[in-house]
Amino acid sequence: MAIKIALAGNPNCGKTTLFNSLTGSNQYVGNWPGVTVEKKEGKLKGHDDVVIQDLPGIYSLSPYTLEEVVARGYLVNEKPDAILNIIDGTNIERNLYLTTQLIELGIPVVMAVNMIDLVRKNGDKIDLKKLSNELGCEAVEISALKNEGSEKAAELAVAAAKKGKAGELPHVFTGSVEHAIAHIEESIQGKVDGRFLRWYAVKLFERDDKVQAELNLNKELLDHIDAHITDCEKEMDDDAESIITNQRYAYINGVVDKAVKKKPRTENLTVSDKVDQFVTNRILALPIFALIMWLMYAIAMGTSVADGGIGIGTFATDWTNDVLFGEIVPNALGGLLESIGVAGWLYGLIMDGIVAGVGAVLGFVPQMLVLFFLLSILEDVGYMARVAFIMDRIFRRFGLSGKSFIPILVGTGCGVPGVMASRTIENERDRRMTIMTTCFIPCGAKMPIIGLIAGALFGGSSWVATSAYFIGFAAIIISGIILKKTKLFAGDPAPFVMELPAYHVPAWGNVLRATWERGWSFIKRAGTVILAATIILWFLQGFGFENGAFTMVEDQDNSILAIVASAISWIFIPQGFGNWRATVASISGLIAKENVVGTFGVLYHYADELSDNGDEIWPEVAASFTALSAYSFMIFNLLCAPCFAAMGAIKREMNNGKWTAIAIGYMCLFAYCASLVVYQIGGLITGEVSFNIFTIVAIAIIAFTIYLLFRPNKYEGVNEVSFDSKKAVASK
Amino acid sequence: MPLTMTKAGDTVTIRKITGKDEVRQHLAELGFVVGETVTVVNEISGNLILQVKEARIALDKTLAMRIIVA
Repeated sequence: MAIKIALAGNPNCGKTTLFNSLTGSNQYVGNWPGVTVEKKEGKLKGHDDVVIQDLPGIYSLSPYTLEEVVARGYLVNEKPDAILNIIDGTNIERNLYLTTQLIELGIPVVMAVNMIDLVRKNGDKIDLKKLSNELGCEAVEISALKNEGSEKAAELAVAAAKKGKAGELPHVFTGSVEHAIAHIEESIQGKVDGRFLRWYAVKLFERDDKVQAELNLNKELLDHIDAHITDCEKEMDDDAESIITNQRYAYINGVVDKAVKKKPRTENLTVSDKVDQFVTNRILALPIFALIMWLMYAIAMGTSVADGGIGIGTFATDWTNDVLFGEIVPNALGGLLESIGVAGWLYGLIMDGIVAGVGAVLGFVPQMLVLFFLLSILEDVGYMARVAFIMDRIFRRFGLSGKSFIPILVGTGCGVPGVMASRTIENERDRRMTIMTTCFIPCGAKMPIIGLIAGALFGGSSWVATSAYFIGFAAIIISGIILKKTKLFAGDPAPFVMELPAYHVPAWGNVLRATWERGWSFIKRAGTVILAATIILWFLQGFGFENGAFTMVEDQDNSILAIVASAISWIFIPQGFGNWRATVASISGLIAKENVVGTFGVLYHYADELSDNGDEIWPEVAASFTALSAYSFMIFNLLCAPCFAAMGAIKREMNNGKWTAIAIGYMCLFAYCASLVVYQIGGLITGEVSFNIFTIVAIAIIAFTIYLLFRPNKYEGVNEVSFDSKKAVASK
Repeated sequence: MPLTMTKAGDTVTIRKITGKDEVRQHLAELGFVVGETVTVVNEISGNLILQVKEARIALDKTLAMRIIVA
C-alpha cells in the first residue's frame, strides 16, 4: 500500500514550490471530481511508495470557497496517512489557525515552517521545540524557495505516516466551550470514526450544515446538542462560530508568545509595502498598469524583432508559420508522401487539410507561450493580485469583480486559458458571468480577421483593430450590466477580499511550469478537436456533386460545404453578408478563428499559402463586401461563439451542459444583434441600405437593450437576504 | 467608526464586525477578529489594503464599512 501524504497550507505559503521540489516532474495534474479545482498529485522523489497529494491553498476547513470544500472533503473522506502542513513563518499566527483545525482531524501532522530565511532576516526566532510540544506534532524549518530542509520535512511526514498515530490534542478550547464540545463528543461517540471525534464535535458546535447533513443525526440528539450550544452562546454572549474562532486565536496567541520571539520592527513598512505605495497608488496605479500591459503585448505580439520591434513572440510565430509549417514540414512530409506514392486524395487530406489546418493553429503557440510566460511572471511576483484589486472598483460598476479581469487579460492571448483562469473566482455567479464574457475580447487568433478586413476595405487603418478591442470591452460591459439584472445572475458581486502576497523574485521553476501547462492545454486541443474538425472541413469543402456524381470537386462552389452554406446564408442577409462564402468562413471560424482568412483564400481559389492578414486576396474580398458589411462581418466573427477549443474549455469550467448552452447561445445572439444593428443603422446613415423591415428590428433591438441596461434591478440586495435565511434555517 | 473612515498609515483596533454571513467567518479566518490591530497600508477610492497579522489583505468598500474600529 502506498503512503498518502497531503500537503496543506494557506494560499501563498509556498506550497506549490515545495510540491514541485518534492515531486519533480513526477506529477499528475487533473481535476477534483465534480468541480473545476485543480488536483495535483505526485510521487515523492526517491520513494516510489509515497504519493504526495497537493491540496488547494486554504485558510480554514470551513466551507467558504470551493477550494476549502474540496480540501476538507479529501481530508475527511480519503483519510491520508499524514498531513504535511506548510506554515508561512513570517505570518505564523494566521497560518497556525489552519493548523489547529488540521490537528483536530486526528491524522498525524508535521508542520513545515516555511520562509525561514525571511524569518531570520527579520531577526525573529521560532523555537521549533516549543512549537512542537505545544501543538503535539513535529515541526521543522524549511525554505522551499531555496530548497532548504524540504527533504527533511518530507521524511518526517513519511515517518509520521508509518507510525500512524497522531499526537495528543492540544487544549485549544477552554471553560464552557470545552465543556459543551466534550458533551457533543459523548453524544456522537460510536457514530463517527473515532479519530475524527473532535473534528466532528467542533463542527457540530459551529452548526456546520454540511456536517449536520452528513451525520444524519436524529432530531432528539440534534436538539440535545443545540441546547448545549445555546447555553454556551448565552454565557459567552456571542454566536458559536465566533466563539470557536476567538478561542482558536486566543490559544494561538498563547503558543506564539511562548515559541516565537519577534524582533521589534524598526521600520513599519516592508519593501513590499513601499512598492505597493507606487503600484496601487490612486493616481499612478492605472498608468503603471497600462505601461506593463503595453510592454507585455509589445513583447508577445508587437512588431517582430526582425523588423526592429521588441516582439519576440511575433518573431517566433512568423518563423513557425513561414519556415516550419511553410517550408520544412510541407517539404519533408510532401517528399515522404510522394516517395511512398500515396493516393492523391490522401495527399490532399494530409497536406492541405491537416498540415495547413493544424499548422495554422500551432503557429500561434510561440506567441502564446511568450504571453503566458510574461503573465506567469506577473502572477508569481504577486502583481496579478494587485491588478485584481486596482480593477475591482472599475469592474464592480458593471457587475463583475476585479478578479474577472485576469481571465479577460489572459483571453487576449487565447480564450482557452482565459476561460480556465476564471477558476480563481470563488463566487459561482461571478465565475459563470466571467466565463460567458471572456471570449468577447479579441484573442490572438482573431487578429488575422481584423487584419483582413482592415487591409481589404479600410486601407489598413489602425482604428479597425482599436475599435475591435473597444467593441470587445463594450460587449463585456453591456453584458455585465444586462445579465446582472436577470434572475440567473441576481445579487451583488461577492465582496472583494483577497490576500496580496508580498512581492518576491519569481521562482522560475513555477513560472515555466505554469507557462507550459497553459500552452500545453492549447496544443493538446490542436492535436485533437482541431485536428478532427480540420479533417471534416477538408472533406466538406473538397467533396460534392459534380457532373451528377458524388466526387472530389474541381470547383469549390460545388462542394457540400458550399451547398449547405448557400442554404443557410440567408440568415446573414440582415447583417449584409448573406453570401455563402462569408457563411462558410464564419463556420470555419468555429474551428479556429484564424481559419476565416484561410477559408477565404480557398474560396477565392488562391492557390498558394496566404500571409497572415491575407493581403493576396484583398481585391476579391473588397469586391464582395462593402466597408459596412465587412465591418459587420468582423463584429459577428469577433463576438459569436468562440472556436471549438474555447467552447470545450467553457464546457469544462461550467461543468454543466445547460450553462454551456446558455453561454454559447448568448454569445451568438449578442453577435447577431450587434452586427445587425451596425449594418442596418450604419447603412441607413450612409445610404447603403434603405429603410426596411430590418431597420425596425434594429431599432427594436436598440430600444430593448437600452431597457435592459437601465431598468431597475429588482434583485438588488437579494444576496444578503438569502445568506441570512440560509443561516436561519441551519440554526433551527 | 467604520474602517472606511481611516486613512493610509493609521493603525486601529477592531471593535466589532457587523453582519452575520459566511463572509464574516472568512474575514475571521484571514485574521479580522475583534481586538486585532490593523494598519491601513493604502487606499483607493474607498477600497483598502490592510495589514493584519503580518499579511496584506485587500478589501472593498462594502466590506470595510462593516468593520468597526477605534
